[in-house]
Amino acid sequence: MLTYTIRRLILAIPTLLFISFIIFLIVKLSPSDPTAGLPLTIPPEVREQIRQSLGVNDPILIQYFKWLKLMLWDEPLHLLEGWTGLNVAPDGARIISYQTRSPVMELIMQRMPQTLWVVGTSYIVGILIALPLGIISAYKQYSIFDQVGTFVSMVGFSVPTFFTGVLFIVIFAVNLGWFPSVYNTTHVVTDWPSFVVQVKQIIMPVMVLGLYNASQISRYMRASMLDNLNQDYVRTARAKGLNEKVVVLVHVLRNSMIPVVTVIALNIPAVFGGAIITEQVFKVNGIGQLLIIAIQGGDVPVVQTVSFIFAVLIVLFNLLADVLYGVLDPRIRYD
Amino acid sequence: MTRYSLLLGATALVLAPAAALAERGSSGHLNIIYWQAPSTLNPYLSGGTKEVESASLVLESLARFDDTGTMVPWLAEEIPTVDNGGVSEDLTSITWTIGDGITWSDGSDLTAADFVFTWEYCTHPEGGCAQASYFDGVTSVEAVDDGTVRVTFDAPTPFPYTAFVGSESPVIQAAQFADCLGARAPECTDANFGPIGTGPFVVDEFRPNDVIELSANENFRFPDRPYFATVTFKGGGDATAAARSVCETGEFDYAWNLQIDPTILSGMEAQGNCTVVTAFGTSVERLHMNQTNPDPSMGDMRSTVAGGPHPYLTDPIVGQAMSMAIDRALIVEIGYGAGGQATCNVLPAPEAYASTANDGCLVQDIEGANALLDEAGIVDSDGDGIREYEGTPMRVLFQTSTNAVRQDTQALIKQWWAEIGIDAELRNIDASVFFGGDPASPDTFQKFYADVEMYTNNFAGVDPQAYMANWLCSDIPGPDTQWQGANIQRFCDPAYDELVAEMAATADLEERGRIARLQNDMLVQSYSIIPLVHRGGVSAHASTIEGILMSDWDSELWNIMDWRRAE
Amino acid sequence: MFDIRGAKKLVEVKDLKMHFPIRSGLLQRVTGAVKAVDGISFDIYEGETLGLVGESGCGKSTCGRAVLRLYEPTSGSIILDGKEIAHAPFDKLRSLRPMMQMVFQDPQASLNPRMTVAGIIGEPLSEHSKMTGKERLERIYELMDAVGLNRDFANRYPHEFSGGQRQRIGIARALALNPKFIVCDEPIAALDVSIQAQVVNLLEELQDRLGLTYLFISHDLSMVRHIADRVVVMYLGKVAEIGPRDGLYEDPLHPYTQALLSAVPEPDPVSHDNANRTILEGDVPSPANPPKGCNFSTRCPRVMDICRQIDPEVREVKPGRFVACHLYNETTPETADNAAEPAEA
Repeated sequence: MLTYTIRRLILAIPTLLFISFIIFLIVKLSPSDPTAGLPLTIPPEVREQIRQSLGVNDPILIQYFKWLKLMLWDEPLHLLEGWTGLNVAPDGARIISYQTRSPVMELIMQRMPQTLWVVGTSYIVGILIALPLGIISAYKQYSIFDQVGTFVSMVGFSVPTFFTGVLFIVIFAVNLGWFPSVYNTTHVVTDWPSFVVQVKQIIMPVMVLGLYNASQISRYMRASMLDNLNQDYVRTARAKGLNEKVVVLVHVLRNSMIPVVTVIALNIPAVFGGAIITEQVFKVNGIGQLLIIAIQGGDVPVVQTVSFIFAVLIVLFNLLADVLYGVLDPRIRYD
Repeated sequence: MTRYSLLLGATALVLAPAAALAERGSSGHLNIIYWQAPSTLNPYLSGGTKEVESASLVLESLARFDDTGTMVPWLAEEIPTVDNGGVSEDLTSITWTIGDGITWSDGSDLTAADFVFTWEYCTHPEGGCAQASYFDGVTSVEAVDDGTVRVTFDAPTPFPYTAFVGSESPVIQAAQFADCLGARAPECTDANFGPIGTGPFVVDEFRPNDVIELSANENFRFPDRPYFATVTFKGGGDATAAARSVCETGEFDYAWNLQIDPTILSGMEAQGNCTVVTAFGTSVERLHMNQTNPDPSMGDMRSTVAGGPHPYLTDPIVGQAMSMAIDRALIVEIGYGAGGQATCNVLPAPEAYASTANDGCLVQDIEGANALLDEAGIVDSDGDGIREYEGTPMRVLFQTSTNAVRQDTQALIKQWWAEIGIDAELRNIDASVFFGGDPASPDTFQKFYADVEMYTNNFAGVDPQAYMANWLCSDIPGPDTQWQGANIQRFCDPAYDELVAEMAATADLEERGRIARLQNDMLVQSYSIIPLVHRGGVSAHASTIEGILMSDWDSELWNIMDWRRAE
Repeated sequence: MFDIRGAKKLVEVKDLKMHFPIRSGLLQRVTGAVKAVDGISFDIYEGETLGLVGESGCGKSTCGRAVLRLYEPTSGSIILDGKEIAHAPFDKLRSLRPMMQMVFQDPQASLNPRMTVAGIIGEPLSEHSKMTGKERLERIYELMDAVGLNRDFANRYPHEFSGGQRQRIGIARALALNPKFIVCDEPIAALDVSIQAQVVNLLEELQDRLGLTYLFISHDLSMVRHIADRVVVMYLGKVAEIGPRDGLYEDPLHPYTQALLSAVPEPDPVSHDNANRTILEGDVPSPANPPKGCNFSTRCPRVMDICRQIDPEVREVKPGRFVACHLYNETTPETADNAAEPAEA
């Protein structure tokens, strides 16, 4: 398993380099201009000067290698310095956002907490709803519970979050006034009342995303349980005279969890990626909002860096999912 | 009039007796939402409205424009003029006197050196300063003494109130930005995100594209202001959500740029929690009629002067009929609501420059338009419902940027034009491409590979001289200039060029007004440009906030120090 | 050969029905039933092997599972060692589980892939006995020895074994609680021919040693002839014929049994080719919609009018020989004779 993991990690390096280059080309070759968002009152000469100062006009390959060097060498050193306090970071050069003229990594670090809070919590909530829902739905296939569960997850899966999000705001923020419609990213939890405030402001985005996640995972859970419930080994377990609870929760569930756990692991990068629409609707301003604003503003360094980090996370979590599969399923061996 | 007397006068007028009792911080906390979030607080590094307006809470300039477009001395003692000797007789320099006892929020004195530094900062060749045009023609900024700044121009400048006037060119602190010149500007993240200013508030925390936390400046020159102790300046979401948070949930006190369906906004206002405010500047939604030939068969000569004139849009009769067919009031009602007024002028404001000669277009007259065309012999000769102009069927390609209101407007205009026998093919282009200015793209508004296009343009500040110079013959975009140039409809008239030159040599404000109106009438009556809607900024504030004087000539938040919460 | 005279009945199945609901439509309502097992009765004597044969899909496996209450039977009764189990409550059933066990067709699928051999064999022990860990391990080793598995493999997972070894694990697991009665559901069908004999021999050896009673379900008539004492022939959810092995194989009574047996390949090519085969025409009807009258009437080479009207009952036509066919029905001798003659001619 260890050699397998190491081999996969080594193989990931050319993959990621290739991905980074492709992302770079896509971003660069698409028609985007960092000055396009400026008012028309700013004359073309000034725009040209701005582009010049941003380095937009350098040859593409040079821009790419500049970025690559910063991404792979300077930024990790800055990260190291931030963590250890050692003075190892080189002066000056960092990946700079066109829009804010500040280091992209600092933007990402600033956005990470609220994204992890909101999207991460919603993922956990989604899983906590999905697993029992999927298990009971499968065990009582075609029951009222299953029919209702199927309907709810179909709705949750197909109704877009920009609709559910706004619906939630209109009901719970405008009409009932229970929760705020705008997420306060500067809120710090220090005591019980401030924790209550945090729960109140997080509950709507978490539920909107959580329902979506839950519908997706509960479908996987149900399908996987159904696959296993009809297996002979379940009959064997019953023939052994085991308690039904043991049969379902030990024999069936443990085997059904294998594909579900890998699906959950594969989706974790999406947690870091944030949720562009939900973040926008609730003004959470996390990674998703950072990315969409950067795309709209032609902010190539941000788009490039955020996408590259996603690519790294996706590659890593794919590996993790494969390793987990090997751990959970004794039939799989990586040698 | 001096700075103090004017401000006190204005305050007394607006705030009624209670103002005298209020003191700094007495109104507590103010929540502002800008649905587009500021990405930096250094307006020299980003020219966007959101950055300029958020920075205006912290950074100030020598003079600002109030809600009527009148210049108000701000950091300056008074507005320099030729009469009071502040502006030199030859119109090549202006000398500002800085008000007494003004300090930065860190307690240090504001001196003329800071202005000199600001000029150096923005004109550094490697800096990519977004507001460089405010220093156009400035040959030097010098500190006559600690309290006096002289700005010298390379030519007579009848309207010298550009550098250090308005929210776009505020003064920044030399001490803070000393190491941030030119290419090093992006390294000064702390300074860019938390500039030290002279304004009513100081930055406590700045999160780019997200939120700004500010609190009252302890060293502010007016001991009783600002009335708000702290401000949260939140960004993100969309215009509807921002309106909702002020008018329905009451979480925010002020929301900016509410370009939403007018019926939705008026419905929200009717609930009584908020007041919608508008301010009209110089933005005009207009149609440009291509004076050159955009026929694809022309190849590289498309839409260039060299390619020859347009087969029929150069005839004012055609443009006039097309203008008469349009019901501007309906366009305003459907798409703009409080944020728009029908207009027949390219230059609708300030009032001194607004012509009244063209107001006939405010009433739709399809019959008249048809009669006009018939009379001119432009008729439908082959019976297909489309008129022919000297044998060329009048089918126009009508393009604009992708935007719901613009597409609605396009559809209405297409229908009206159909009624006068002109067929329009509609096209819309993503705004980032349309306004992107990429010389390689065929879809930019500068290339104008269409017969008609629609968008909004305006000018910053109150002086139209530079704006009206857009329509010089020499400013026509073309391949030789990488399609740069502001004369988008390719209008060219030597008489107009003469007026531009006359304007540049005239200092008298009344005379300048006459020339500007003349220029406006000449443009509009050539029917190469058809003004549609005078667009204003639409914002909403909680009914409990007093003292808001919304201005489109400056930052909307220009007088935030006078804002207060009603008891 | 086993002699039923004087032997005790261990299992009595009476009129067992197992119907599966068919759901359809938007709301998945029940709109019909698959009559997988439709009223069958038979007895199994202590110490014997009862073969259960029939074509694929005739309900053999369902019958075997229903007998062990792995399904909830629709109706009927199952008496195991004097105790009714068809409708016994769950707790009582659980205490009866050690007595009756099952060996499944697919040894791969029937073993939980995430449990080791020791876990699979030991789980019923920890569920039904109060053994200490050590005693349990001892018992696991004992069982592994009994089925011919190397003790060293106790901590391996099922997928690491060959098919034959997996079936041995399945048998060891079935034996763990000293059952009296084991349902062998096609235990050799998924194995290589070379392994089949080994497993069958193991089953026979264990039967002799431990006095087990088997219900041996198979579609392999030769294998059933080898192992079974008596044979039940099923067709479309119903019993066609029951009889002692030798009698049934030498003189099949039911036309379906005759057809089945005539299809068994002969080792001698000459007699194989010369055999007078009865080839059945058509397909087995759907168990969701069985024909009226005798289930076999649609394919029977000796079909009579009555067959399409009345479903024949199972009768003892000779001592120990039971058959469900109108040909042997004394109440309709004429039709039976008339119909039988041309077929025999």
